[in-house]
Amino acid sequence: MGYSFDFQSVSFGPLWEGLIVTLELTVAANLIGVVLGFPLALLIMSRFAPIRLPAMLFVEFFRCTPAIVQIVWFFYCVPMLFNVFLGSMTMGILALGLNLMAFNAEAYRAAIQAVPREQLDAGIALGLNPLQRTLHIVLPTAVRASIPVLLTNGIGIFQQTALVAIVAVQDLMYQAKTLATETYRPIETFTIVALVYFAVSFPVSQIVGHLERRRQLMMS
Amino acid sequence: MTMSFSAPLVKIQSLYKSYGPHIQVLKGLDIEMKPGERVVVIGPSGGGKSTLLRVMMGLEKIDSGSISFGGKPYISSEGADRKTEIDSEVRRSIGMVFQHYTLFPHLSVIQNLILAPCKVRGEAKASATKRAQALLERFGLGAKANAYPAQLSGGQKQRVAIARALMLDPKLMLFDEVTSALDPELVAEVEQVILQLAAQDMPMMIVTHDMWFAKNIASRVIFCAGGVVVEDGPPEQVLGAPKEERTREFIDRVFHIRH
Repeated sequence: MGYSFDFQSVSFGPLWEGLIVTLELTVAANLIGVVLGFPLALLIMSRFAPIRLPAMLFVEFFRCTPAIVQIVWFFYCVPMLFNVFLGSMTMGILALGLNLMAFNAEAYRAAIQAVPREQLDAGIALGLNPLQRTLHIVLPTAVRASIPVLLTNGIGIFQQTALVAIVAVQDLMYQAKTLATETYRPIETFTIVALVYFAVSFPVSQIVGHLERRRQLMMS
Repeated sequence: MTMSFSAPLVKIQSLYKSYGPHIQVLKGLDIEMKPGERVVVIGPSGGGKSTLLRVMMGLEKIDSGSISFGGKPYISSEGADRKTEIDSEVRRSIGMVFQHYTLFPHLSVIQNLILAPCKVRGEAKASATKRAQALLERFGLGAKANAYPAQLSGGQKQRVAIARALMLDPKLMLFDEVTSALDPELVAEVEQVILQLAAQDMPMMIVTHDMWFAKNIASRVIFCAGGVVVEDGPPEQVLGAPKEERTREFIDRVFHIRH
């Protein structure tokens, strides 16, 4: 193989700018997913079918279609159907955020169902009403129990942000594609970009492992 | 709450409770409890003891019957629709401690104690904290106020659970096998706390398998089996010289090891 590597010609400026955009997308999507995922979980657990069924449909739509289709749909179909376009960054955040919200809702649902019955009995015996039991017992217990899954989903969305490059959001992947085309150095560029994604994701996955071990200790 | 001198503290009338169509747990239970009484409920597993306490706390629906507290009916299911009606205002006078430690794991000891007073009664945090600290001192847990449940022994957790229930100034305490999940060496410290409450004339209903404890704390013992009251009397009678054959068999079996 006669390929000679040349990392010199890859300029880091655009990649750095791209990384900032990628991180902004990740943080914003996670804010939507973490905050709104919980009420969505309560909706999909509702005993009232007219509330439960649309919420379940929402979750299943995002879980059962490819993220790239969701993003494309958001960018091209939403503006055509509803005559709104909020800028590519905002649309990207919404698409990723709603996707994460659906996945996080499932994480919350599992954690809510794992809250021991005795905890709720104690809450009733102490006179807490259903809303107080949800806020002071279910929410904190379930959020804590779902942190490892939320982090895993969050880091998943960080990687999924690469998909918005195809709809012209200037994230890390978009900058990499541009740079690779300009410099004719795709191998170097994409190797560096892969390393950047890895460098952000790996510590978080280590933290997840640590939290899960600690939680097992706490529960034993 | 006003109550006339002769009025029972608790009056349970023909209480029926089943789980699903086939498991009938309570089959027409009638119990009257006078103010100041300490009733210990004993009996074989599945005899309805724990269910009785859970029903009294409003944790289970009933099929039919009624329970009143201080002369006020607060749980009933007598209408045609068989819906269990619970008056939560009256129920708030009753405190309960469970077999499995039910402390909230994300809250410190003191936060566990003040949660209900602050949220349910709207008590100021400072005043609730002061009362909680005093209660913890009384139970020998003063140094544990800021510890989390995971840092406590089983006996300490149960004592905190008792303190938490007392924060709401209950007029009746229900103890559901509170020492059954404890290591043997931790049982005494929890029983001591309950005896301490008994010395202050706290009315209580206790479900326990610990006959030594039953003998020491009861002013009255009820033997419950098959969902009905089989025998009801002073501890010397029910535990010492039972009149009913079924009670005698049970007592013989339980005390078998010691004889």
